[in-house]
Amino acid sequence: MKSLKKKLESSFSDIKINITDDSRITVNIKKDAVVSILNFLKNLGYEHLALISCIDWIEENEFELVYILSAYMEKDQEYNEKEKKTILVKTRISREESKFITVINIFENAEPYERELHELFGINFEGHPRLTPLFLERDYKIPPFRKDFDTRKYVKDVFDKIPSIEERKK
Amino acid sequence: MRELELYFGPQHLGMVGNFSITLKVEGDRILKADANPGYLHRGFEKLIEQRTWMQNFPLVCRINVVEPDHMELIYSMGVEKLAGIEVPERGKFIRSIYCELARVGSHLFGLWAYSNMLGFDTVANWAMYHRDLVLDLFEELTGARVYHIYIRPGGVRRDFPEGFEDKIVKTLHTIGSKVPDYNATFFENRLFEKRAKNIGKITCEEAKKMGAVGQAIRATGMKYDIRKIEPYAAYDKVDWKVPTREDGDAYSRILVIRDEMIESVYMIFKLLDKMPKKGDVYTKTPNPFKWRVPAGEAYVRCESSRGELGLYIVSDGGDKPYRAHFRTPSYSHGLTILEKVLEGESIADVGNIMMSLYVVAPEIDR
Repeated sequence: MKSLKKKLESSFSDIKINITDDSRITVNIKKDAVVSILNFLKNLGYEHLALISCIDWIEENEFELVYILSAYMEKDQEYNEKEKKTILVKTRISREESKFITVINIFENAEPYERELHELFGINFEGHPRLTPLFLERDYKIPPFRKDFDTRKYVKDVFDKIPSIEERKK
Repeated sequence: MRELELYFGPQHLGMVGNFSITLKVEGDRILKADANPGYLHRGFEKLIEQRTWMQNFPLVCRINVVEPDHMELIYSMGVEKLAGIEVPERGKFIRSIYCELARVGSHLFGLWAYSNMLGFDTVANWAMYHRDLVLDLFEELTGARVYHIYIRPGGVRRDFPEGFEDKIVKTLHTIGSKVPDYNATFFENRLFEKRAKNIGKITCEEAKKMGAVGQAIRATGMKYDIRKIEPYAAYDKVDWKVPTREDGDAYSRILVIRDEMIESVYMIFKLLDKMPKKGDVYTKTPNPFKWRVPAGEAYVRCESSRGELGLYIVSDGGDKPYRAHFRTPSYSHGLTILEKVLEGESIADVGNIMMSLYVVAPEIDR
């Protein structure tokens, strides 16, 4: 754990590493260095991308992207401490611009995660081959998982316009 | 031959569940597959942000319809980690027993879907009947058959009723005594072997690249199991094995599922033996209406019956979660691996491969 922290600190500048007792490492890094740190960690053996998540910090006007990595064991190998570690690589991007670089060429299974974040948060991943809708069928002015999307107002605006059965009979 | 586009949706007889795949086919061969989820998107992660910590339980257990128990567990684990709550010893054992029962039930349901789709109706009926026996146990324990809401932050809702341990043993003996019949009619049936061997094959390296977990990776020879890697509940208290196979095809995935079911049954017996006979089953938590969880973030993971299940949960110190994101095993299986594996296979094997990868649509959509 400590050696990983040292390795990261010597290879990257402007990095903030936080180790919690239960084998989780949080790495805060500038957005330009994300691709290189993901490559670096993958070469160290953290080749399982568990999740790409996004948090909308509306008061700071920023999105926080979280890449969660862990390690696979070798085939026919028993368990050791390495698989226990989970690394959370976090970066912040501007909410207005809301664009980032795709990491598909590093992790193949990043594709649907980025597609989902594009649809639900409106983050544009440059270089992604198909940012087509994944779950939603309607067009939304504000992507629905952003904090300023008001679900109640949306329901009122869209579904109140549908006439009731009595009104339709007239 | 002419290239055609086939919409393989939920109305198609070969499809199990609310999921669709757009296939480009030439004759019977699939050239390209395009998975298309969204039939069950209910925006749960957004709704979770609008409800208090305890109010979220009816939502989270509906994320995976087939086995809601691990969903309750992962959400409770997330809240416990944020709030720093410890689970009492007996509560941990009950959680493990409950989750293993859920795994048996879920695998039986999966076996029903798989054998039914391949036309083995007898096996399908047995599996459904045996799942019902497990649901009877759940009904006695929690009052509900499918959505139990039994696990809560700090432990479980209540202790085992009197004589419940014996009932678990009796039910599992009933199911276990049928294993030779299952083997003869399904797992070792030559018709099934012909249908599933060398279908939907992935190697260990490919599986790693595409983020496979659960049976998909254990069928390629890797012992990747969160219960061993990062033991939660009482899984480190008893001795058990992780079943694996070598080939990485549909047949080995199904055999891993069978072996896992058998291993779960043995594990429940061991857990029942080792369980402390007395003690609390839950730690007291604050009044749910006034409960504010300290600000912070947590990533927790457990092994659901489909593979690594994770939850990334963030609190801003309020009475509701600020953000919750579920990492569900079917997500990579159904969207990345399925698309890749289907290329070059025949139309008749789409459902076969999808069920062997153990894809559940509600888990993808959330």
